Amino acid sequence: MSPWLLVAVPALASLVGVVVRREDRWAGAVAVLAGGLTLLLAGIAWVLEPGSTAGHVLDLPVGGLDLPLATATDPARLAVATVVALVALAVQAYSTWYLGADDRYGQFAATVSLFTAAMLLVVVSADLVLTLVGWEVMGWCSYLLIGHWSRRPEARRAALKAFLVTRVADIGFVLGVVGFVAGAGTSGLSGVVGAWREPTGCLQEQLAAGAPLPEALGACDAPDGRARTVLLVLLVVGVLGKSAQVPFQDWLPDAMEGPTPASALIHAATMVAAGTVVLAGLHPLLADSPTARWVLGVAVSVSMLLAAVLAFAQSDLKRMLAWSTVSQVGVMLSAVAAAPPADGPDAGLLHLWSHALFKSLLFLALGWAAVAAGGTAAVRMRGSASATPVLRAALLVGFLSLAGVPLVVGGVSKEHVLAAAYDGAVAGDGPGVLVLVALVLTSAATAAYATRGYLLLTAHRRDRPRAGTVTPAAPAVLWALTGASVLGGLVVLTGSFALHQVSLLWLVLTVLVVGVGVALALVGGLDRDPAEVLARRLVPYADRGLGVDGLYRRVVARPVLRLARVVAYVDTEVVDGYVRGTALATRAAGWLGSRLHRGERSSTAVGLVVGGALLLGAVGVLGWS
Amino acid sequence: MVVSLLLALPAAAGLWLVTAGRATPPRLARPLAAASALGTAVLAVLVLVTGSQVDRAWLPELGLRWSFAADGISAPLLLLTAGIGLVVTAHAWVELPPGGSPAGYLGCLLLVETGALATFTARDAVLFLVAFEVVLVPMWVLVGRYGDRRDPRARADAAGRFVLYTAAGSSTLLVGILLLVVSTGTADLRELADGAGAALGPGRQLAVALLLVLGLAVKVPVLPLHTWLPPAHTTAPTAGSVLLAAVLLKMGTYGLVRLPLATVPDGFGRLAPVLAVAGAVGVVWGGLVCLVERDLKRLVAYSSVAHMGFVVLALASGSETGVQAALLANVAHGLVAALLFVLVGGLKQRWGSVDLAVRRPALRETSPRLGLALVVGLAASLGLPGLATFWGELLALYSAWAPAGDRPRGVFVAAAVLAAVGAALAAAYALRVAGLVWAGDRPAADAGTGTDAVGVERWVLVTLAGAVVVLGVAPMLVLSSTADAVAGLGGLR
Repeated sequence: MSPWLLVAVPALASLVGVVVRREDRWAGAVAVLAGGLTLLLAGIAWVLEPGSTAGHVLDLPVGGLDLPLATATDPARLAVATVVALVALAVQAYSTWYLGADDRYGQFAATVSLFTAAMLLVVVSADLVLTLVGWEVMGWCSYLLIGHWSRRPEARRAALKAFLVTRVADIGFVLGVVGFVAGAGTSGLSGVVGAWREPTGCLQEQLAAGAPLPEALGACDAPDGRARTVLLVLLVVGVLGKSAQVPFQDWLPDAMEGPTPASALIHAATMVAAGTVVLAGLHPLLADSPTARWVLGVAVSVSMLLAAVLAFAQSDLKRMLAWSTVSQVGVMLSAVAAAPPADGPDAGLLHLWSHALFKSLLFLALGWAAVAAGGTAAVRMRGSASATPVLRAALLVGFLSLAGVPLVVGGVSKEHVLAAAYDGAVAGDGPGVLVLVALVLTSAATAAYATRGYLLLTAHRRDRPRAGTVTPAAPAVLWALTGASVLGGLVVLTGSFALHQVSLLWLVLTVLVVGVGVALALVGGLDRDPAEVLARRLVPYADRGLGVDGLYRRVVARPVLRLARVVAYVDTEVVDGYVRGTALATRAAGWLGSRLHRGERSSTAVGLVVGGALLLGAVGVLGWS
Repeated sequence: MVVSLLLALPAAAGLWLVTAGRATPPRLARPLAAASALGTAVLAVLVLVTGSQVDRAWLPELGLRWSFAADGISAPLLLLTAGIGLVVTAHAWVELPPGGSPAGYLGCLLLVETGALATFTARDAVLFLVAFEVVLVPMWVLVGRYGDRRDPRARADAAGRFVLYTAAGSSTLLVGILLLVVSTGTADLRELADGAGAALGPGRQLAVALLLVLGLAVKVPVLPLHTWLPPAHTTAPTAGSVLLAAVLLKMGTYGLVRLPLATVPDGFGRLAPVLAVAGAVGVVWGGLVCLVERDLKRLVAYSSVAHMGFVVLALASGSETGVQAALLANVAHGLVAALLFVLVGGLKQRWGSVDLAVRRPALRETSPRLGLALVVGLAASLGLPGLATFWGELLALYSAWAPAGDRPRGVFVAAAVLAAVGAALAAAYALRVAGLVWAGDRPAADAGTGTDAVGVERWVLVTLAGAVVVLGVAPMLVLSSTADAVAGLGGLR
């Protein structure tokens, strides 16, 4: 089966969805059916095609450049594709209830389909340019989804911010892709990895010989070691942006202005996780470049710990989940950064798989509870899930998974990430030690805020909270995802992910760390909000994301706008000034000529003619010689 | 034979409409113009299918020949021009600008189309220049007579500036072409391209290249020779703006490929770094101005400067990939700019002005169809994959990163980085417009109901937006057409 089918089905569904967007029933049917078909196709491909296959090739040569636009599948990619399709289907089914009364449901469903197609394209792409296509389309879809409720100013701003922050980071991604493709002469992933695997030391030699950088660049167009490091770092910057890692993290919590199903999609299986897929594809190069690994390792270590702490202190539970995403994506990427070449990046992909399941479960459960409670603030949502068994079960499994308790899906993958980081720390040439320390601390903090979330949502309330009216779709989706989160860890037995054996030691360590986190959260007893007990003073800062938004404005937005005003002024007053000056000078010359011409003395005219002839002659001679 | 008909049909219809048929009422003039545009489009397809050509002595004393034919490089532009001709004549049902007889207006549109078609098919350097010049007069009439009624002085200024500025460029071009023709002894573009400037010494090559590039750079426009563009775009009637952006600017880039790049490659190579930097600076410059520009029509005009910056950058790289990228980005920009100008023209018609500082109801709420078209246009403007501009601009960055062997790589890599930053600026200004016009960042107190696009306007928008998507999904439509012709250009490495 061609991997293109996985992309084509949701892409077509979005096209049809746009056409029938006015008819909610049709739009919903198209979206859900296409989602189901995609899941079926991905599942069949995963089960039936054990080996690696290269997909159909749409060869597109452009001059000396070869764009194979190839796709490829292997078990790990197909497992990820399956989980993406599963989450997308869950989101589509859930949206038929959640946005059933929305006047723009049709657009929403079509955008979600397009988003799914773009993510699946990134997953099955074996071509850097195709990856870039999916990558950017996802960014655009996130703009549309986050800004879905565009009548609210906060939603408009959040959408703008999400797109601009990620697009600025994507300058790095685009240049990285262009550079890698230029060095290899092809955009095919295998071609790029092959060409850059054994780089030359050309730049270094040239620079050592005293050549200035521009000349050295001219002399070295073959894949070069230093250039490779720079390009990898550029790609990593792009990934950090899309994955909302420090210093680009602040767009993600704001993105909570979007409808909850959109948040579930963006956070669980698509956009933010895409960076892990891309870097996993380039792992052979990344593992060989300590600088790039360090950049990635430091950024994700800081991100995961900072975000876990901020998540703990959020006064809004949806934003708590958002920060938890920042933290968990950091965990995924940390496996890619820390794993030594021998281990491969699959521990990160496994965590992507498990995070997709439990995070979509948490978001969708929280969305329901928030509808019942009428808001997402912790105070308002207190106990809102206590009266609904499906919500309680979903939240329990979801938060257990998030905390990384062994045997549920999140625990299984976290152990593998820890093991990979440990291998990296032992191997010693990357950021393994740093990542390992950050992971352990983050695990404790994660357990603490997961406990907090569960305590708050299921707290006992004297007035029995209403469950709200739902269509059967919502509980069905939640039960399915709950089941998947409990059993999803079994995926390690299929051998789809190339993983090492994890010793029992890690299980014990995880239990220990989680225990510390849970105990920490329970210091104030079962009835009080742990954030109030432990981090009361941090809450206002955490709610504002430590004021990074203001930093973006001061450091980037305002200087750029100031520069823009200067440029606009220069454009009309200086550049155009010369043009107006020319017109003025011509007019003055004309006036002068007519004045001279009107003069009585014929000598003036003779003088003019002679002068003109001399001028013409001079020009002619100069031009001809 | 067919190629002669291709030029004769719109020329005859246009000339009749501006002279003898001036008094024709719109009821008759509109179908007539649209029918000739349709006929021209059919003929354009026929020319490409049959490979028709004409080659006769024209002024034997000067060795000039009446020689027209299309090849792979001109084919996409020929189709674009014919398609845009259809769009602008159809648009007359949406808007017939006051200021003169409707028939004269339609005639001018057809004459511009004729000139552009002749430019894209001319195979003689002097003939190319003549065709290049023919376009100026009807365009001047369109801007100066049928332009924005509100400010007669601004109109006269914009029209005068357009015609004088571009005529000054053309004079430089004329000197360059004459020098080239005198030095090589032929005016045939194919012979010139085959010779690749071998007959000229390095100094002469540089002089010719400089004159040609300077002359054509005005038309493209390359920074800092762009200041005629915003006023002309802002003042021109909608169809005039569409023709300017989608057809006239393309003549500049097409000329750059046909003349300096093909005929004096070494001289062009020496100018290339300057051109590359000008292109990359243009991308950033246009993007920055768009961030603060208040008039939406001017904003789209400045975004054209930015997009043409990518085209110039790709051309300067001098590689086969670069020229292909430039030709693709060229066509893509033609479609996107046409879409945006039709939209903005429609908004101007509805609102009276397109000042972004005025509070207005969100287009998304009041006119969903216009809103959708605007979103497609803006997304294409910021280079979203799947829409037309993406491929050309990505390949432009690529070709700047890996330019031809004789280009100074450091300069080109720096230009690529600059252009990549400019691409992010494009996202910023596109979303600024989306926020203000589409989503409602500055909502009017009473959200009145706007009229949505219906009838011809709707179908024009659907066609243009559809073309933008099709070219974005299948860039090979253009690339496969240009591949062989570009590979055959002398002097590319």
